[in-house]
Amino acid sequence: MIGGLEPVRSSRIHSLCFSLKYPFGFCGLQHICSDIIGNLDYNLLLYRNSLRITLSVWKALLLREALSRLFSSRGAWFWLIAEPVAHMAVLGFLYAGIRQHTIGGIDALIWLVIGLQGYFLFKRTSGQMSGAIDSNRALFSYRQVQPIDAVLIRGVLEAVLMVAVIIVVFAGLAMIGYDIEPADPIIILQAFFGLWLFAVAVGLIVSAAAEVAPEIRQIFNMVMMPLYFISGVMIPIASVPEPYRDWLLINPLVHALDGAREGFAPYYHTAPGISMDYLYAWAVIGLFIGLLLHRRFANLMVTR
Amino acid sequence: MIVVEDLWKRYRTDHGPGKWVLEGVGFVIPPKVNIGLVGKNGAGKSTLLSIIGGVDQPTRGRVERRCSVSWPMGFGGGLQGSLTGRQNSKFVCRIHGKEHEIPEKLDFVQDFAEIGEAFDDPVKTYSSGMRARLQFALSLAFDFDVYISDEITAVGDTAFRRKAQRAFADLAGRSSLVMVAHGEATLKEFCKAGIWLHEGKAYWFDDVGEALKAYNERLAQ
Repeated sequence: MIGGLEPVRSSRIHSLCFSLKYPFGFCGLQHICSDIIGNLDYNLLLYRNSLRITLSVWKALLLREALSRLFSSRGAWFWLIAEPVAHMAVLGFLYAGIRQHTIGGIDALIWLVIGLQGYFLFKRTSGQMSGAIDSNRALFSYRQVQPIDAVLIRGVLEAVLMVAVIIVVFAGLAMIGYDIEPADPIIILQAFFGLWLFAVAVGLIVSAAAEVAPEIRQIFNMVMMPLYFISGVMIPIASVPEPYRDWLLINPLVHALDGAREGFAPYYHTAPGISMDYLYAWAVIGLFIGLLLHRRFANLMVTR
Repeated sequence: MIVVEDLWKRYRTDHGPGKWVLEGVGFVIPPKVNIGLVGKNGAGKSTLLSIIGGVDQPTRGRVERRCSVSWPMGFGGGLQGSLTGRQNSKFVCRIHGKEHEIPEKLDFVQDFAEIGEAFDDPVKTYSSGMRARLQFALSLAFDFDVYISDEITAVGDTAFRRKAQRAFADLAGRSSLVMVAHGEATLKEFCKAGIWLHEGKAYWFDDVGEALKAYNERLAQ
């Protein structure tokens, strides 16, 4: 009455299909985490390889994320720009208008704007990325879409949006008569790119780690608060006495922000010991850990 | 054809690994046969479907999809609540590499789902029946060899069920369907063969009626 089925043995005939499907050989990792290659449809493989699939997923996700970031609520795109601008206006008034006119040899408002832009770039990128998995969970029922895709795409989108915000803010400064021409734009780009890379690393780590242990998100939010004060956004690190200054210099954000200010004006008095290598070392090691976590827990994230 | 080979699955819980949901399930889904999956709640039907659909990975064992397989249509996901039906449809077109065919696909989905102007409202405002219509229409917009449906027909009204059934009758000879449903009538309407999941094992029946009989006999005991 009940016909139990024999398990099917893998036969040699299908080895061709197999090598097509797994061009890099079948490895045990398949069981730990689903691989882009493993997600291929056998038939679709005839005209779509894993790279093409990943690229089309990235494009679709980028459009989907941009749509909800810019138009999810009334005037969402306006607040995206208005929030940092308002922030800068209030602090700029307090600093440049009342307290002092120069910090470390450069204009106080410029000093503040560079710091705040960098801080916003870091905060928004890492914050958006760490929430990417929760917001896209419904889309993981398509096997082409992996959690890491959603996380990475949010980082890219945030970079694009922040470039727009930075352009608007600096154009505004130029219009009210500030000299915004940097001495060495390459150094500023280097500092901000390193900062973004570090933000991406943090976003990758937090997004993966919070899936394994949700408490990590709380800790992340707790760490983000004081970062505003200890990263040299509002308080010049160079004015902090030793030994506290050395402690503050452990934070890679300090190196990015003061590095960018130095690129703006070479005569700016940075805190001694500012190093781009240090920033990039944090970013690269962080990226490695983040990617590792995503690879290790890919399956866990989808099935939760 | 889909080869399911000695599949074992257990989920990770807050206190270590959970109990085995699937214990060595193995079968071959031949081409062009509609299959109904029966079993009581928690027997592992949805788990099996998502593993076949490639969304979930088995703890042990392997699934070989030697054909194109749809995503598992079901309550769980596939539609992003904050986006409209149209935006969701575009997303699915893009990830399937059909970007250049978006206008035609959208026309088809809109026409098949029959949800009217709600197509341009956020999906979170949809009723479960409307979501089911949209998901079903979406998957039919693509030429899959196997469509996977997880209780999605249960929420549609009679008119929609008829429409879906007719669509699958048209697809017969080209594509097939693997479905979970609790309504016996639905299963008999759609499916030919049946798989009964019971205590982690799978039993194959050439006739879905037989599978339902075995399932019901077990319930009566």
